[in-house]
Amino acid sequence: MKIIAVTACPTGIAHTYMAAEAIEDAAKKKGYEVKVETRGSVGVENELTAADIKSADAIILACDTSVPMERFAGKRLVSVSVGEALKNTDELIEKALKADLYSAGNLADDVDDLKSKRSAERKGAYKHLMNGVSFMIPFVVAGGILIALSFLFGYDAFQQEDTLAAYLMAIGGGAFGLMVPILAGYIAYSIADRPGLAPGMIGGSVAIALNAGFLGGLVAGFLAGYTVLLIKKYVKLPRSLQGIMPVLVIPVIASLVVGLLLYYVLGGPVAAINTAMNNFLTNMSGTNAVLLGLIIGLMMAFDMGGPVNKAAYAFGTGTLVAGSGSAIMAAVMAAGMVPPLGLALATIVFKNKFSFAEREAGKAAFVLGASFITEGAIPFAAADPLRVIPSIMAGSALTGALSMAFKSTLSVPHGGMFVFFAVENIVGYLIAILAGAVLTAALVGFIKKPVE
Amino acid sequence: MIISESLVSLNLQATSKIDALNQLAAIAAKEGKVNDEATYIQAVLKREEEFSTAVGFGIAIPHGKSEAVNEPFFMFARVDNLDWNSMDGEPVDLIFLIGVPMSDASSIHLKILASLSRKLMKQPFRDSLREATTPAGLIEFLEQSELGL
Repeated sequence: MKIIAVTACPTGIAHTYMAAEAIEDAAKKKGYEVKVETRGSVGVENELTAADIKSADAIILACDTSVPMERFAGKRLVSVSVGEALKNTDELIEKALKADLYSAGNLADDVDDLKSKRSAERKGAYKHLMNGVSFMIPFVVAGGILIALSFLFGYDAFQQEDTLAAYLMAIGGGAFGLMVPILAGYIAYSIADRPGLAPGMIGGSVAIALNAGFLGGLVAGFLAGYTVLLIKKYVKLPRSLQGIMPVLVIPVIASLVVGLLLYYVLGGPVAAINTAMNNFLTNMSGTNAVLLGLIIGLMMAFDMGGPVNKAAYAFGTGTLVAGSGSAIMAAVMAAGMVPPLGLALATIVFKNKFSFAEREAGKAAFVLGASFITEGAIPFAAADPLRVIPSIMAGSALTGALSMAFKSTLSVPHGGMFVFFAVENIVGYLIAILAGAVLTAALVGFIKKPVE
Repeated sequence: MIISESLVSLNLQATSKIDALNQLAAIAAKEGKVNDEATYIQAVLKREEEFSTAVGFGIAIPHGKSEAVNEPFFMFARVDNLDWNSMDGEPVDLIFLIGVPMSDASSIHLKILASLSRKLMKQPFRDSLREATTPAGLIEFLEQSELGL
């Protein structure tokens, strides 16, 4: 019998190795062969090879952090916390030998794991920005959808007081109004921890008052965060007064500094940039728009949820203004839906080019693509990057270009097919998505080699 | 990573986890391993807050990485059953306190901790830790235990 395992505890210092030791000892006592991959602070040691996995009878995952599981498809697998592995090691091994086979149809889990791993790896300014954006998104989504619902009653319906339409617009507008302060606040929070929140949000409000929009919020957030760090470093109070630092000293000084800087110095220029950008976008000529759509498509598919994709996405959300649709946002979402949809289509039409696990994953990819979760394409890209990535880029580029050509607009920042009611020129939009998916599927199907 | 007899206390009288850590940090400062006791203790306690370093079997491995540490060091103390919020609910009677400077880019201390963790799973190893009669004897035992010391 051969048992293999992976151990990983959150701090990666002690329990990881203790669990490995426990599993190794228990297995050897039973006369089994054993190999344990440890994922600790020093990095991954004793990594399990494909040969190890193939020859194993059972796999034990003793992990409190997420670990790539795709490689274990089709094997008996049991997953427990590190603590549990230390307590009942003997029983754990026997349990593993009788466990169910792990199927990679757990694509949704894998994508979740990947997303959280990615979010743990981000560094520096990008990490702070993404923190702000991730807190902001629910506000934008809720606000946007409610506003779009108000439009279902007619574009001017909300102007009649005390109607449902009016209330929906008010609630949605309220959510939208919070979007920039939240962005700024949580950027600052990521930089300076809790004391950064208030100055950041206050700075964001000022940015709105100055008409500096999304960009202004970004500036305010970083400004607030680093100001608070500076205050923490250089303003030292005697021990007895330490308590008032986070409650009084920091909020007051930081908000003052950030607010005044925005009003006197930065506000004007940032607002000007914001207006210029909006004007540029609204007045863009036909061919330029299509070209932009094409570039957006390429970016969305290039790293499927990674930095380039997120940059395009953030750009898209930045062009959203309460109540009106953005052509850019439409192109971004359509292009982001196509990689998983196209690949899912490919797994059905070109069955012989995909492994069993991939065909199972294809089913999940339909749902993920329809929900605008571009990461659904990652497992396919990881397995065959040189063929898959160019294919999805081509498909998304076509979709982005067509979406702009058909002048489709979208007034909410997320939701996939669930927000199709918020799309202007929906027919053209659907054609764009379908065309891109078909192109991706065709390219993938013809370029890929058949699987034995 | 260095451990020496002066960093070993086979009979530390401490009334609580914090008391033990304070006393050990003071010794580390006296031995020149730490240049700012307060800052070092803060680092150790912060780490302790994230996740208790009591790994079970009556052993705790508190550690702090800070600018207050001059060079990597390692201390060992035996105490009378202290509460350490351990995973298995048992009190702690063996403490390995570790200090690492901020600028220490190497992972040597991590490797030693990893080896130590593996050894701690073995009853004979733990027994020897509890039975050592002199600091010198303990050091000799650790050096012979293939920890990479």
